[in-house]
Amino acid sequence: MDLSGKNYKAFIERQEALKKQYSPANAEKQHSKGKLTARERINLLFDSGSFEEIDTFVTPAQQTVEFGKLERTYGDGVIVGHGKINGRLVFAYSQDFTVMGGSLGLVHAKKIAKIQEMALKMGAPIIGMMDSGGARIQEGVASLSGYAAIFHNIINSSGIIPQLCVIMGPAAGGAVYSPALCDFVFMVNRTSYMFVTGPNVVKEVLNEEISSEELGGAEVHGRKSGVAHMIYEDEENTIMALKKFLAYLPSNNVENPPVHADDGSTPDINEKLRDIVPDDPNKAYDVKDVINLIIDRNSFFETAELYAPNLVTGFARLKGKTIGIVANQPKVLAGVLDIDSSTKGARFIRFCDAFNIPILTLEDVPGFLPGKDQEHSGIIRHGAKLLFAYSEASVPRITVILRKAYGGAFIVMNSKSLGGDFSFAWPTAEIAVMGPDGAVAILYRRELAESKNPAELKKELVKKYRDKIANPFIADELGYIDEVIDPAVTRKKIISAFSALSNKWVKVPARKHGNMPL
Amino acid sequence: MKIKRLLIANRGEIAVRIISTAREMKIETVVVRNANEPDAMYVSLADIVFDNTEDPEEIPVFLNIGRLIEIAIETKCDAVHPGYGFLAENAYFAQKCIENKIIFIGPSPDAIYKMGNKTIARELAMKQGIPMATGSRGNIGNEEEAAAAAELIGYPVIIKAASGGGGRGMRIVRKPEELEKMFLIASKEAEKAFNDPSVFIEKYIENPKHIEFQILGDTKGNIVHLGERECSIQRKHQKLLEEAPSSALDDDLRELMGSMAVRMARAVGYYSAGTVEFLLDSDRNFYFMEMNTRIQVEHPVTEMITGIDLIEQQIRVASGEALAFRQKDVRIKGWSIECRINAEDVQAGFAPDPGKIEKLVLPSDPYVRTDTGVRAGSAIVSSYDSMIAKLIITGTDRKDAIRKCKLALDKVWIKGVKTTLPFFRMLVRNPVFIDGTFTTAFIEKQLDKYYLNSEYEEMLAAWLATRLFVDENLRRDSISIDYENGKEMSPWLLNKRINQF
Amino acid sequence: MNDEKPEIKKLYALSSENRRFTFSLPLKNTIRIGKRSYSVTLKSDEKFGTYILLKNRKYPVEVVRSRQNRYEILFNDISYTFTIETPFSLKRLKVLRSYSGKAESEVIKAPMPGKIIDVLVREGAAVLRGEPLLILEAMKMQNEIQSPVNGHITRVMAKSGTNVMKDDVLIEIKVE
Repeated sequence: MDLSGKNYKAFIERQEALKKQYSPANAEKQHSKGKLTARERINLLFDSGSFEEIDTFVTPAQQTVEFGKLERTYGDGVIVGHGKINGRLVFAYSQDFTVMGGSLGLVHAKKIAKIQEMALKMGAPIIGMMDSGGARIQEGVASLSGYAAIFHNIINSSGIIPQLCVIMGPAAGGAVYSPALCDFVFMVNRTSYMFVTGPNVVKEVLNEEISSEELGGAEVHGRKSGVAHMIYEDEENTIMALKKFLAYLPSNNVENPPVHADDGSTPDINEKLRDIVPDDPNKAYDVKDVINLIIDRNSFFETAELYAPNLVTGFARLKGKTIGIVANQPKVLAGVLDIDSSTKGARFIRFCDAFNIPILTLEDVPGFLPGKDQEHSGIIRHGAKLLFAYSEASVPRITVILRKAYGGAFIVMNSKSLGGDFSFAWPTAEIAVMGPDGAVAILYRRELAESKNPAELKKELVKKYRDKIANPFIADELGYIDEVIDPAVTRKKIISAFSALSNKWVKVPARKHGNMPL
Repeated sequence: MKIKRLLIANRGEIAVRIISTAREMKIETVVVRNANEPDAMYVSLADIVFDNTEDPEEIPVFLNIGRLIEIAIETKCDAVHPGYGFLAENAYFAQKCIENKIIFIGPSPDAIYKMGNKTIARELAMKQGIPMATGSRGNIGNEEEAAAAAELIGYPVIIKAASGGGGRGMRIVRKPEELEKMFLIASKEAEKAFNDPSVFIEKYIENPKHIEFQILGDTKGNIVHLGERECSIQRKHQKLLEEAPSSALDDDLRELMGSMAVRMARAVGYYSAGTVEFLLDSDRNFYFMEMNTRIQVEHPVTEMITGIDLIEQQIRVASGEALAFRQKDVRIKGWSIECRINAEDVQAGFAPDPGKIEKLVLPSDPYVRTDTGVRAGSAIVSSYDSMIAKLIITGTDRKDAIRKCKLALDKVWIKGVKTTLPFFRMLVRNPVFIDGTFTTAFIEKQLDKYYLNSEYEEMLAAWLATRLFVDENLRRDSISIDYENGKEMSPWLLNKRINQF
Repeated sequence: MNDEKPEIKKLYALSSENRRFTFSLPLKNTIRIGKRSYSVTLKSDEKFGTYILLKNRKYPVEVVRSRQNRYEILFNDISYTFTIETPFSLKRLKVLRSYSGKAESEVIKAPMPGKIIDVLVREGAAVLRGEPLLILEAMKMQNEIQSPVNGHITRVMAKSGTNVMKDDVLIEIKVE
């Protein structure tokens, strides 16, 4: 074959033109803003040399070339393809801000749709790296349809393959629904933002001055809106974390999650667990201390850490196998459940259920957050989401009650009657309709009113209540929990329980889908 | 009367110290175990442990006179050693011991009372012709009296609490405009700290050295001094490092100041161990400050250069024995430096850093003595002081002592809490410290940094951080996933999953 | 199209005082002091805990905390804080620093009325996102208020033992 022949000449010319498009000067446009180029992100994400790009040389739909500036650019602003991440097949698309601002046009959207369809066919995860100015104005309705097609694909794949989204630049208007619909959203601090309506329109309509950062920066979405689950200070750390995160997840909803090598450094029995819950029931502790002692060393990957911190969610490993953890956090709002934490927990549980990830619940919840705010904003509905999510989940579900488990919150947090598989309790557990103060005030109202020393009497009654009603041994003896365990053997117990549950299968009711409160 | 059993009304390193000497003297020791530190080292070393962990301790047990007396009686102790701090200088406690036929290891209640009240002590000193900073006669009742006294004495002045020290109730006033405000602040603080708002005013001596003399006396009227200690290395009135002797004193000055110290002690018929504190200005003028009627934290440096066990002497004196030596027999040999290693964060302004001591390895060289009340596994709790250990180094002369200090400090290994070690490592290399000309203003005013920055130590720390980052993120095998394993599942399950939809 | 993967060739450890230490990758277990290279080993045992061995001398070392690329290391009793940056992230830091002229300040307000039980930080202290600042007791519940940002405490208005109203300013943090 003659490499200098006409056919090859065209081939090589095209390659050269592509190289020119992606010149260092082009890269500098991103670098000068502290951002990586789309290509660099792909290269960081995928194992060396494993990325195969498709549709590299597509050009924009006709309209762009006719109306507006003539730009014979390749790729139409997005790089799509597949490759291996730590040895496993993953599909990805990475929007290229240097090409027409990464705006989404017909061809751009088609490329993404193509890769989404492939991912679904192959049963492999898909990662979207967003860095785009939004819909391409010149292409009008074609851009909007393009978005719709992408969203439709996400929804079709939802719960079948893991879909992760990384926001590495602007994502405005319609574009934000991709992250909203994906399973988990990673966001880079200070150089990315998401909002439905941008600061310009806000200024116009409401006459309110607000910066992009304040309206929809990473801080906002990580802490306040809960749209972003993981926030990082720079792009490289984001991508490295993404790779670590992916290693917890299966490739699709039929497979089990991958198994990591366990270095065996976490002892199955650890007496330190006995010291964590303070003797004083009103004193707080950090539930992450408990988590870190029972899972494989350093294997806890927290999700949505800054949002609703009163409920901790995240993935971890037990003897190398992935589990999802949902835990009340006593040191924030005493671990009560509220609207934000209910929705956070519900979504996490449903993801685990979709992808065969067993769930461990660590419970220490005094109830739901009282108050007009919560009631008027619908804590009833939102709390019900958590209830629904747990009940519906057919993955192995284990609960360990560490301390308080009162009333409705006890029911909601994966109680046995909701279909929880195993329920353990520590000796410090208090399981009751309501806390001792409230209960005593109601049951002994008359006695307390008539008493000469109500404070003393109350103290006595509270102690009696704790001993007689709220202690876990009663629940144990009645069969509502399976066993009161020594905190030191918690890890050993849950590993053995999950092992027993590894073939758990529950037939889901034959219906289109339930009517989950939303 | 021979002491056979001794109650130690204290904890931490001094309790361990007292147990050590008592053991050699074949005296049984009784200690009090409390809920704050039930597993403390001193508890496991004593002969008899009185378990006070059930006591709700509205008053901390070591401040609870009634309780301590009860314990002493119940455990049939002949004597009580109060250590330092807590009730060591509480005349009422000493009195109560005596009333209950328990020997109090310390001076008479009367001496404690008189020297404890700064105004009375000053009066006595004045009567004895002991040099002191001019000050108000008696306590100051109100702002007018304060202003008048200050005028007479001449600014700058210092307002001091009559009933206590340690920096509380103490205010320096340089300008007349500030006097009224400072007077009120000082009185309030004194009331809060010592239950007595009384203050007096003294001339403030700028940047002096703090020199104190160790006194030892018996009940037969023999009182000697055992040389001085140099305690100018202080921060916020807390001593950090002490030496014996002081490079500021020659034999003549030592003899003069020593004799003044003894005179002061004699004025209250003192017996047992005590310390007379002086300020020494740059012109070699010395001024009596106060007398501490107890054994002090820094007593070891005196012990190292005189060869005398002060705790032993205290016990002997309390038993009625006469001192076995006279002033002319006291010889000083060598030089001793004590570093107080505390659980404090030098980088955060010496803020206490309570926590658990995970590892503790102390040097065991012949020139190092370590007095400690903790071991690996001990907790440093915020209810007590943050002392970990006293590192006492003895050399042939000051230069030798400093040299050995450097070596010893590098051999101390403590993990689990932050310590003041970086401060001492810096101090023993500081030129002002080395030439000995430092004053009490040195630490607070002449040092801008309390630790040394070693470039290569920082580089090692940076290397470690980088190593961790690389291991967590960049190594190919940091994520060793077995993808095939996830695919192996029982046919039972696989079948169900596939056919579910 | 497969172009070269941007292999990270070196890493920078930036200290809190802006000193920069450069390490080439792959990271070797050696350190250059002056003209010579010395081998460094990280070890751990029962008696001494974790330590670094250099030139036959043991240095006590502890990783106090770490978050993303930020590490606080206690080395020979002195604390150092480093962020590990790649050449690109270093450049990014410079770019970002040039954007925000004024230092951003984060004000921590009381989320509800209650009593301050414990103030856990002091002025000047460095904080990481998620770290506890103070404990507020409200409605008989202990609530840990965490720092939402990485930064330094510039002012502590909250006092232990005092009662506060909703939105009272408790702490001011200079954002990094």
